[in-house]
Amino acid sequence: MANIREIQSRINSVRDTMKITNAMYMISSSKMTQAKKKLADTEPYFYALQGEISRILRHIPELEHRYFDRREKVPAQDRKIGSIVVTADKGLAGAYNHNVVKLEEEILGKQGNHKLFIVGELGRHYFAKRGVDIDTHFQYTVQKPTMHRARDIASVLLEQFRSGELDEIYIVYTRMVNAVQSEAEVLRLLPLERSSFNELKMPLNMYREAIDLYPSAEAVMDSIVPNYVTGMIYGCLVEAYASEHNARMMSMKSATDSAQELIHDLSVIYNRARQAAITQEITEVCSGARAQQK
Amino acid sequence: MDTFGLKIIASDKVFYEGRCRKLIIPAPDGEKGILPNHENMVIALAVGIARMEAEEGKWQDVALGQGFAEVVNNRVTLIVDTAERPEDIDIRHAQEQRERAEEQLRQKQSIQEYYHTQASLARAMNRLKLAQDKKWNL
Repeated sequence: MANIREIQSRINSVRDTMKITNAMYMISSSKMTQAKKKLADTEPYFYALQGEISRILRHIPELEHRYFDRREKVPAQDRKIGSIVVTADKGLAGAYNHNVVKLEEEILGKQGNHKLFIVGELGRHYFAKRGVDIDTHFQYTVQKPTMHRARDIASVLLEQFRSGELDEIYIVYTRMVNAVQSEAEVLRLLPLERSSFNELKMPLNMYREAIDLYPSAEAVMDSIVPNYVTGMIYGCLVEAYASEHNARMMSMKSATDSAQELIHDLSVIYNRARQAAITQEITEVCSGARAQQK
Repeated sequence: MDTFGLKIIASDKVFYEGRCRKLIIPAPDGEKGILPNHENMVIALAVGIARMEAEEGKWQDVALGQGFAEVVNNRVTLIVDTAERPEDIDIRHAQEQRERAEEQLRQKQSIQEYYHTQASLARAMNRLKLAQDKKWNL
């Protein structure tokens, strides 16, 4: 049986760690509520944008636009593929970062020239160590996502897409499936996919109201698509932020729980050791007294 | 007088939802007015000031960011980056934003950065314009 003092110091150290994990749990839970509120605020905008593109495509199916250009002439091995990877700034969030990184590795395994745009310190370190081409000017943090940051990120990517520096753009992030579950996911930002908007098929004989695009279809799409991409990136950043804190909250909760369990076990051992020591002392005293009687 | 349904959705909230009598919006080539039973249309919006008449004789100004307006079946939806009432605009903040943008414009920039600061300058000027108009009207 271990020394009483050793057990005591072990209990104290576990208790100190528990204080930290408990504090981190509370911080994450409050940050997550904020993030969830933000997400709920921006949802109507986002869905309205999505609905609008689908409506325009439904009415003008033959619409040609540079953001729909799939650039099929570029062969697979020469395609320039950009991916935004959203990881956390820190670890201690269970499998959160690992899942995102694993998904990005899958993309990197495909043909083409890859270029990474990383949001979040942890992913930046990981991919820098692996020697992948990273845009070094792309220094954004994941803390407190704002529309402004999303706009910055979107403008960088749209510019590169337009100039032909990138042919495809993906975003790898973590989506909240529900309050307890989240899932890493890949989303294609550009070029836009017609099929992802055209879910609603209209019967041929139905009357379609004509929609005029003013000043021109070109100008309208030019003003919608960048906003759509910005909104998409913002939505992803907020989702990722919420999932990060959800993951951290859960792992900190389980850490606190197991610390409590550990303290319980250790205090049982401690009490047993203390009792054994007392028993031994009594035995010693008794046997000493008996020896003197004789 | 007839009315139409108006919904203004900004990126961070639903700014307005209700009936409206007249609406004037900033299009890239000038202002455009919308009355009830307007033709179905999608209109690109420039950064500028929209005016809406929700109740008779009561015009309300709104500073709009980038976006577009959609008119379908006598319903108008404005989907914009930002939408602000004059009383919500922080003049000091807008002024700082303008100064910052002007300062950046003076420096050598890539073409992309240039567009970026230009857009942010336009937003700042728009805010200031609306907030200052309001001040003189008092």
